[in-house]
Amino acid sequence: MLRRMTKLLSGARQLDPGRFLHRGSPAPQSLDAHLDDQRPRAVSCTSEDDPARHGEQHAALHYHIPLQDLKTVFPQGLPPRFIMQVKTFNEACLMVRKPALELLHYLKNTNFAHPAVRYVLYGEKGTGKTLSLCHVVHFCAKQDWLILHIPDAHLWVKNCRGLLQSSYNKQRFDQPVEASMWLKNFKTANERFLSQIKVQEKYVWNKRESTEKGSPLGAVVEQGLTRVRNATDAVGIVLKELKNQSCLGAFRLLVAVDGVNALWGRTSLKREDKSLIAPEELALVCSLRKMVRNDWHGGAIVLTLSQTGSLFKPRRAYLPQELLGKEGFDALDPFIPILVSNYNPKEFESCIQYYLENKWLQHEKGPPT
Amino acid sequence: MAAPAVTAAGGWPVLALSLRSAVRRLPGLTQVRWSRYGPEYKDPRIDKEYYRKPLAELTEEEKYEQELRKTQLIKAAPAAKTSSVFEDPVISKFTNMMMKGGNKVLARSLMMQTLEAVKRKQFEKYHAASAEEQATIERNPYVIFHQALQNCEPVIGLVPILRGGHFYQVPVPLADRRRRFLAMKWMIKECREKKHRRMLMPEKLSHELLEAFHNQGPVIKKKHDMHKMAEANRALAHYRWW
Repeated sequence: MLRRMTKLLSGARQLDPGRFLHRGSPAPQSLDAHLDDQRPRAVSCTSEDDPARHGEQHAALHYHIPLQDLKTVFPQGLPPRFIMQVKTFNEACLMVRKPALELLHYLKNTNFAHPAVRYVLYGEKGTGKTLSLCHVVHFCAKQDWLILHIPDAHLWVKNCRGLLQSSYNKQRFDQPVEASMWLKNFKTANERFLSQIKVQEKYVWNKRESTEKGSPLGAVVEQGLTRVRNATDAVGIVLKELKNQSCLGAFRLLVAVDGVNALWGRTSLKREDKSLIAPEELALVCSLRKMVRNDWHGGAIVLTLSQTGSLFKPRRAYLPQELLGKEGFDALDPFIPILVSNYNPKEFESCIQYYLENKWLQHEKGPPT
Repeated sequence: MAAPAVTAAGGWPVLALSLRSAVRRLPGLTQVRWSRYGPEYKDPRIDKEYYRKPLAELTEEEKYEQELRKTQLIKAAPAAKTSSVFEDPVISKFTNMMMKGGNKVLARSLMMQTLEAVKRKQFEKYHAASAEEQATIERNPYVIFHQALQNCEPVIGLVPILRGGHFYQVPVPLADRRRRFLAMKWMIKECREKKHRRMLMPEKLSHELLEAFHNQGPVIKKKHDMHKMAEANRALAHYRWW
């Protein structure tokens, strides 16, 4: 027993924590101050507010979006924490990052005679895919494209109340609540196009109501909003008309879908007899799948993969093959994948500088303002 | 560690020996709350600034203490205590009191969300206020938290004392730790019981903290009620013998 105790004590003496205690190294505060003097204070905001003019020199800088624009361009689609930040600081500042710049470069050089190219933003959780998508949507809105923005496709395959059997196709299901909400936001975002675009076919809703050929698209949207039972069919008609008419060249179409892996995954919706519904049996999902096919031209398709709202996918999955599955990958193939990664040191500095400028870091031991 | 009272066979670890020597063998008494550490184990000192002082600045006592601690046995530091600059014992204690069923992760996240909610509310007030008022608005959630709990601490408390077969509520001065405990307990109880079923804890707690910071609200009222009761029972003060 004594031998074991002496071994313990000698072990402690060998480690000798005292050696590290009395090293007499300079205190860390002076080191930080020394670094601060040498490094110039990083700038976090740029005055260039037009996404069309963003280039490499604006990488890692924040640009302002006027709050009025925010309400018209983004009635839906911004991440909830970003909306909280906008409300707290009274201003919307988005960071310009490499994946978004790459996408903007591709979009500026699109050839509208060729079939629509699909761009897929993928990356690990919390790296900025949704905000990069919002940056691209803002650019297209400024360039007067027609924006078809589905904020989160996962919301259409889970937690839906009020599923109705579709009147158009007996095997499919309607989702009146989600469809009407999307129609309302679509109307806010694209007011000016709704009167310009004319419908090319006659649509009969029921015995008393029908939309004539040549009437503006706004009439279809109004019908979907007032008669909620027909909202899903209205969405399907809007998508079909826009797809057919984008080839004519009157406008340019951007299809932006966040969480596109929901369209080919599984749903958590059940019929009355508790059997699971496949995504193919949802009318909204069917029309969206047709939209994302590249058999039309005159625009672009920007998609985002997302594990956060997805069903039955492991938490660490982020690659297109893992999240889309075989069916989804084959449907989307060929596409241009764009990796979105975490902040690099320069972007991190810029973010911290932005918070310091807005006095968000309030702890007295935090970085000095 | 010289000559413990209990002899042991070769395989016993050192810790078990020290435990046995610490336990007082009284007939009919078993220890309910005990620790695996014997009395010779000292508490760890988690303070980066203390250890970073260069040799020249240490006083004689501190040098002696540090030399002594090199050979002493020291307990392991608890997982919840860090040497971070953002470590706050009051916040840790409050988080532990909010915790239910050992779910520290949930309690900590609720605490962080509460502090964030307090900060956001104050920022909104700041942006809506004029220039003179902006100087008075406090935006640091830690300052608000500490001040609110200080405002909720009662000065005098009531203790039931048995005299002649009846319990009388006697006014008594409270120790600092009892006052802090009562303030935190009242705050948590108020937020748990008097809220709407669908309201979340961070929202309610941030609201109550802001009200207590301005010396308003139900927790401050409870403190005043306690003071009034003590004032009403001041005739019984001579029942106190300490």
